[in-house]
Amino acid sequence: MNELVYNFAVWLDDMQWSTMLHESYYMYNWVESTHVLTLMVSLGMLFLIDLRMLGLALPDVPASKIAHRLNVPMLIGFTVMFITGILLFYAVPVRTSQSIWFRIKMVLLVACAINAYLFHKRMNESVSSWDTDARAPSRIRMGAMMSLGFWSIIVVCGRFIAYDWFDCSSFPGEFMSTLAGCVDGQTRF
Amino acid sequence: MPTFISEYSRTVGAAAVILLLLVFVYGGWMDSLYPGLLGIFEWLETTPFGYIGKTWGAAFAFVEAIHLIGLAVLGGCVIASDGRLLNLVLTDVPAQTVFDRTHKVFVWALVTLLATGVFMACGVATKIYYLPVYWFKMLALGAGMLFHFYVRKPLLGHDLSQLNPVVTKLVAIASILVWFMVAATGRWIGFSG
Repeated sequence: MNELVYNFAVWLDDMQWSTMLHESYYMYNWVESTHVLTLMVSLGMLFLIDLRMLGLALPDVPASKIAHRLNVPMLIGFTVMFITGILLFYAVPVRTSQSIWFRIKMVLLVACAINAYLFHKRMNESVSSWDTDARAPSRIRMGAMMSLGFWSIIVVCGRFIAYDWFDCSSFPGEFMSTLAGCVDGQTRF
Repeated sequence: MPTFISEYSRTVGAAAVILLLLVFVYGGWMDSLYPGLLGIFEWLETTPFGYIGKTWGAAFAFVEAIHLIGLAVLGGCVIASDGRLLNLVLTDVPAQTVFDRTHKVFVWALVTLLATGVFMACGVATKIYYLPVYWFKMLALGAGMLFHFYVRKPLLGHDLSQLNPVVTKLVAIASILVWFMVAATGRWIGFSG
């Protein structure tokens, strides 16, 4: 599996556009800045929705209104983050695919997607009975807390990707090497 | 008969303070003060925060991530309340309610940003001292806080139906721009030096 990911990353890395994006100081920084600054839209909206469910923000506004009205800007933000995220991966595919932080981030993104699906399903099923309550029922609150927790860890992992503590080139040990997907010590930037 | 200045005294006052700061920093007046500030920045690096920030990369990176989370929450509050003033989001919720209820969260996010920002500044104090973009960010942050607490909050404390809609929309646009500038200049610090 790790070899497959590595070969795919090398294939991307060999593309001229990948090198151009990586080596363009301004373009790379624009993409990275857009990725980071879009946090204000995507996570900003998401955190407000989660905080509303916990009764910590806008407690006297119906929960369904907050969730539905802020969903659109949130999804716009996530779309931009997704596109810029792919571009960032494309610019540095080998090192990124062999980053333990990137891998944790990807697993958590899947967990977030499942949590969001369940959260909306449960909310839509029952919201009419608690819509105007300051705090949502416990299982909705649990979903909101998991969302806050997962996304916070994703931000931490995203920040840690920039550091080289467990990079394959720094010989992180066998266990970490396997988790990070190091392949026979082969690394590229 | 109210004049423009008496009607918008806080706005005019805030604009004057920001203008004075700009003149102070970019008009050459700060040149005499600037060398004296180096000692403060060197001292910041010797504080426990500076020591931790310089020695433990993981701690610094973790605080950076908390800073980003604070930024996300602050951005969410700004977009929700200013977006409401611009009739872009939450249009079926009274603007006053959105502003009032997000203000508390905004303040907590700002406190988080300031606390983590001070920690991060201590770790790289002598680097940021020489970065023009850092000083620009401080100006933008000062302008943002002054604008938010001295102009925006008192203005939106009034009955919004009594306010000129153009004024409320201008306030919302100015607010989004100033906080975007704070965030963007912060990002730029990471690419500089």
